[in-house]
Amino acid sequence: MLELNGIRKTFHAGTANEVRSLQGVNLNIEPGSFVVVIGTNGSGKSTLLNAVAGTFLVDEGRIGIGGEDVTQWAEHRRAQHIGRVFQNPFSGTAPTLSVAENLALASRRGQTRGLGFALAGANRDRMVAAIQGLGMGLETRLDNAIGSLSGGQRQALTLLMATWLKPKLLLLDEHTAALDPRSADQVVRITDRIIARDSLTAMMVTHSMQQAVTYGDRLVMMHRGQIIHDVRGAEKRRLRVEDLMARFEEVRRADLLDTSAADLLRARYV
Amino acid sequence: MSLLLGAFIIGLILALVALGVFISFRVYHFPDMTAEGSITLGAAVAAALLVTGHSPLYATLAATVAGAGAGLITGVLHTRFKINALLSGIIVMTALYSVNLHVMGKSNVPLMNVTTFADQAAGIAAHFGTEKVLLFGREAGVRDLTLLGLSLGLVALVGVLLYAFFRTHLGLAMRATGDNDQMVRALGSSDGMMLTGGLALSNALVAMAGALLAQYQGFADAQMGIGMLVWGLASVIIGEALVGTNRFGYLLAGAVFGSVLFRLLVAVALRWGLDPNDLKLITAVFVFGALVLPGTFAQLRRRISTPVSGDSRA
Repeated sequence: MLELNGIRKTFHAGTANEVRSLQGVNLNIEPGSFVVVIGTNGSGKSTLLNAVAGTFLVDEGRIGIGGEDVTQWAEHRRAQHIGRVFQNPFSGTAPTLSVAENLALASRRGQTRGLGFALAGANRDRMVAAIQGLGMGLETRLDNAIGSLSGGQRQALTLLMATWLKPKLLLLDEHTAALDPRSADQVVRITDRIIARDSLTAMMVTHSMQQAVTYGDRLVMMHRGQIIHDVRGAEKRRLRVEDLMARFEEVRRADLLDTSAADLLRARYV
Repeated sequence: MSLLLGAFIIGLILALVALGVFISFRVYHFPDMTAEGSITLGAAVAAALLVTGHSPLYATLAATVAGAGAGLITGVLHTRFKINALLSGIIVMTALYSVNLHVMGKSNVPLMNVTTFADQAAGIAAHFGTEKVLLFGREAGVRDLTLLGLSLGLVALVGVLLYAFFRTHLGLAMRATGDNDQMVRALGSSDGMMLTGGLALSNALVAMAGALLAQYQGFADAQMGIGMLVWGLASVIIGEALVGTNRFGYLLAGAVFGSVLFRLLVAVALRWGLDPNDLKLITAVFVFGALVLPGTFAQLRRRISTPVSGDSRA
């Protein structure tokens, strides 16, 4: 469903602040696969998601979604294929609009928005049913401004909005990181349920090792703008938190080695 | 009475400016200076067309379209060329000053000898067969009352249309753009297009107000736009205080009420001997106060309610 070939992106190229965020990422995701993306800070995992979403255009490489080459598409155009949930619960909803109005906006993701009334009758029953499905008791607050809800509630609604029209690809960028543990757990459960129910293809960036081993059928680990581990199937199911920690430790040691080797060379030759 | 009616009519005409400013400033949080130029543009286009013998309806509609064009340019400058919001408005406003002079051919066009909306209203008023009626124990001109009724009807119509528009799929996406542009992109709409469309709509309303104001006053003037943005903003702020809620329909109505109330206050103040030269200064001070005071009061309240020290509330 998603094909990434040789994706490269450098920010502030040619300046002192040059950051080589993505250094040749290749990734192929089959339809219906739920991929968890982990990595150290600055490893490029969020950048990878943003590259797919079209927040910026990549320097090199090709991005294909469902067989269509979207490499040069603008962010809003790619949205016809992509549903997104952001880390910040404020990013996914329009605070002064009501819950129903936000859902109405989502019901036209990637389609032309005409002069039909957004809240015309029929849609409302589906909204109530869908919100009841969240189990958060929000069905009575359909006409409240969404800004009056908690972060967890807003994130659950953003998820509902992102999947209202079945997306070819669902991108979840640490979407539970800003929530308290209970809400985070609730939101990630809802996420898993929706992905399973609609057999969605999804990519989820997470910092939580627990989430990384519990959810998804494939795990990708990033480091320095590259994919260094790609685990799937039975191996992914066997994966435990300790295994992941061990891999992070490996990466950390390799990094230490790099810096100490550099120090050594500097001491000797400079 | 005639003075009061006049204030009402101008207040209603300028309510269109308030609605335009409401859209740019409150819906999009975009301080759109274009309004200062587009109100004059509206007046200029209407005047030029009226003088060359076109009908008031045609002249007003053309002025409205011209205003939309001005807003469109500001939107393109900001979204395509990434020019700062305030600056893109100022650039277009400055350019419009010359454009307006060219459209009018001189800095002031009198409309005394041409048929305007006001004259058409007088034509309707003539059918009533009387020139004055008693209103609240005072004499009122039928012509003024007819004008008042017509402008009230027009503003009500525009208000209802705007309210309906902002409840459509497109209108909702435009409101969401001011709220959260990131989300609008993630839901597949170009936030740049939504903003540009909104600025076009805003300036269309402002230019329509300019066209109507010129016809009511009987002249178009190159200077008439100065201070209009702050004026509109003052109306919006008064309106918000009047309705005291964040519901969209109420805020739209509030902008209209605010404009009329503000104009009435100004008329009364002028009657009591306020120097007209001070008007813009007072308006500016008023807007400054309205923007700053709520925060200051909140701070004071906190300071008063917070115990000096040691008094634990835990």
